Amino acid sequence: MSTAVPLMPAPTAVMRARRHSRNKMAVLAALPLIVFLLLFFIGPIASFLREAFYADDQLSLANFQHLVNTPIYRIVLVNTLTIAAAVTVACVVISYPLAYLMATVGPRVAQILFFAVLLPFWSSALVRTTAWIALLGKNGPLNALLTTVGVVDEPIAFLYNFTGVMIGMTHVLMPFVVLPLYAAFRGMDGALTQAAQSLGARSLSIFRHVVLPLTSPGVVAGAIIVFMNAVGYYITPSLMGGPAQRMVAELISDNITKELNWGLAAALASVLLLAVILSLWLFNRLFGLDKLISGTSDKGSTAVSAQRTPGGRLSVVAGICAAVFLILPIIVVVPMSFGTSEFPIFPPPEYGLRWYTNFLEDSKWVNALWSSLKVGLIVTVFATVLGTTAALGVEKMSSRRKTWLDAFFIVPMSVPAILTGVALFYLTAPWGAVSNSVAVVIGHTVLAAPYVYITIRAALRSLDTNLELAALGLGASWPTMFRLVMLPALLPSLIGGAVFAFVTSFDDVVMALFLTTVRNRTLPKLMYEGIAHDFDPTVISASCILIAATALILLGRLAFGNKKVSTK
Amino acid sequence: MSKKLQKISTLLCVAATISVGSAQGAELNFASWGGAYQNAIRESWLKPFSKETGIKVNEDTEPQVAKIRAMIDTQTVAWDVVTENGARLAKGVKLGVFEKITPDMVNQDHVIPGARHDYGVPSEIFSTLVGYSLKEFPNGKLQPKTFADFWNVEKFPGKRTMQDEPSTVIEAALIADGVAPTDVYKVLATPAGVDRAMKQIEKIKPYVAVWWKNGAEPVNALASGEVVMALGWNGRFQAGIDSKIPIKMSWDNVVNQVGYFALVKGAPNRDSGIKFLNYMIQPKAQAEFSKYIAYGPTTEKAIALIDEARIERLPSTPERLKAALFLDSEFWEQNGATLTERYNQVRAR
Repeated sequence: MSTAVPLMPAPTAVMRARRHSRNKMAVLAALPLIVFLLLFFIGPIASFLREAFYADDQLSLANFQHLVNTPIYRIVLVNTLTIAAAVTVACVVISYPLAYLMATVGPRVAQILFFAVLLPFWSSALVRTTAWIALLGKNGPLNALLTTVGVVDEPIAFLYNFTGVMIGMTHVLMPFVVLPLYAAFRGMDGALTQAAQSLGARSLSIFRHVVLPLTSPGVVAGAIIVFMNAVGYYITPSLMGGPAQRMVAELISDNITKELNWGLAAALASVLLLAVILSLWLFNRLFGLDKLISGTSDKGSTAVSAQRTPGGRLSVVAGICAAVFLILPIIVVVPMSFGTSEFPIFPPPEYGLRWYTNFLEDSKWVNALWSSLKVGLIVTVFATVLGTTAALGVEKMSSRRKTWLDAFFIVPMSVPAILTGVALFYLTAPWGAVSNSVAVVIGHTVLAAPYVYITIRAALRSLDTNLELAALGLGASWPTMFRLVMLPALLPSLIGGAVFAFVTSFDDVVMALFLTTVRNRTLPKLMYEGIAHDFDPTVISASCILIAATALILLGRLAFGNKKVSTK
Repeated sequence: MSKKLQKISTLLCVAATISVGSAQGAELNFASWGGAYQNAIRESWLKPFSKETGIKVNEDTEPQVAKIRAMIDTQTVAWDVVTENGARLAKGVKLGVFEKITPDMVNQDHVIPGARHDYGVPSEIFSTLVGYSLKEFPNGKLQPKTFADFWNVEKFPGKRTMQDEPSTVIEAALIADGVAPTDVYKVLATPAGVDRAMKQIEKIKPYVAVWWKNGAEPVNALASGEVVMALGWNGRFQAGIDSKIPIKMSWDNVVNQVGYFALVKGAPNRDSGIKFLNYMIQPKAQAEFSKYIAYGPTTEKAIALIDEARIERLPSTPERLKAALFLDSEFWEQNGATLTERYNQVRAR
């Protein structure tokens, strides 16, 4: 850095050339993900969706007419959008206090909170729902508590209705908002709230005028992930809701696997896609996606003050409640795993290690765990690289292109996994890719890359481009600038994105059903086999082992990483 | 260097012999639905079959008809014998994914006539019936016995659970409404009959706390007290009773279903598959199955080989069979999609 670079006003021709080459670089960076999605998502899905326009091998609109003429499909479509919207709102509202709490406590407590946030991911969807069902049942512990304390006279029906669906889905999807929101809070200058406070602003007004604008990129990214995901969801609503909460993805799945009416499934999927695109457009019109995300400069993180406003204290209480909500099912799962009964009775009548022994004695569980970890790690690397480069590229493009590519990269999230799974089977099975895990890695990367993309996009938006330009202007090469300026600022989001990618792969059942065989099946697939048609309590022990492993990693980090954290 | 090469070539040779060896030894790729059901199949049939014939059996799970179709379409058929219920079998037949089983391949003369099928060898019979909580309806007091009792919420108050799919539930609904079991499908063949069944669903709907999706749920819901009465499968209730859960079931009204073993079209080990089907349908093998799960044999010749205590737990006793209605898988293949839509619609409101 000793040689001073002359900062001369560059001639316009040079500027244009530079912009041109930058554009080319941008396209080049976005290209891998575009090509990947075209090959392994758009192509296969399009050939599947084409079936919607055929009936009895002839071009026809019969499938769509059937959808219009049969009331159940309209009911289910409205259900789907309502539930997805409600869950999104719930996730955002509950995440704010929790993310605030995480960002303002000491590193030790923050790590414990992190653990609570990530916990729901480590127990498969089926185990989570089993735990909720045990906890929330008519004679479950929660109702027992409420009736004993005298809050209610009659047990509340939490399950098999709208409440059940909201609890189950918010629980699973909330981390997708908490993590980007946490990154936003960390990036926020604590001095700003302090300044507002000292100038006499009240909590609510600080929230509205300081916190909300500064955290909006993270929230919007998280909310989009939740909504898109919720629209294509079905295992949780199907188990915790009733017939009045049925969602489109379930009908699509039923039509593919049970009725084998692929034309109708494709028609439903087309309608779902259309509804998703319309919702995105509406969201854009109502809230102005771009205005909301407009880059707020990041001045680096000063620790937020210890002095809390009354509103801040209230948020802390709410944040603790949110964390408890996330951990609650685990409180049930752990004792249940030590039961000896073949039925998920809570509390268990008898304790023992029966199901743990079963897990360790049967090699299939350990094999499946190994296979899941392998697939998960490979998918994380692919998805992180593809998603990050695409986000870096898109960031440098014109806003028209940005909008198109954003939509292109986001939409795959809301396509029910069963559809992509079947379509990919047709593409990859002839290569023998199903038996060597290549197919499932491709499928999971399709699912996971959009998460990384959105997370990094949001982070880049709130990154101060002046820092970048300053570094480049001072003669740093792009890689040096990236390493010294962008990477540190992006790191929390990068880790968040990678975690999303990993858990997306690690938790997927639906694709694994189609894209693996008995020899390379993943842990969730094995768990599904144990729980879908039967109830094998080994599944609960398996989840507890995963939770324990996560806890150990966390403890290890607390013990060894402490110095690093404290010097920061 | 040359030593290393030598080592590698030896390794390759060994690997080649192993792979050739296993290709020569006969194999069977079998897929079923996991859990207690597949465990029972393994213990009673797969293991002894393998021992007797030397054929190596590879087990897989989730033989969804959709996946079989995809395998056939992409010429990657991995399974020989799969197990399906009547509805899935009929669906698969319509799609042409199963091979027709002729008398030359498997002799089924001794099989219960109501259970026979051109495209599948019947493996077991299981019943949908009324199960209830002994805490709510203790012995010595009034207990629900029939489908009509299940629908009678004044006489037997409390929440219920029924299957989220219409097959067996619709049949039970009509029987509860006074239709004779033998007339159920005649009534259902008319639009008025379907309306009548749907009205029955509408009637019971407010009292159904859980619409169950997997066979373990009815017992779980009875055990947790979420419901007091369930329409569920006898084998599951029996497993609950055996684990000392205070429940009981009644055989007065039943809808029987048959499980089938089918041969996948283009099966890589077709001969082994046929051998296995022949093995599984022998009376001796049929009698063996109910040792591991409370489902009944598909041939009356097996009854004599089962002791009395065990037969009490099974749907296949002559008098139980006489009163039973067998699920008509052909009817469901024809009308299943429409009825499911109606069923979902009635319950969604």
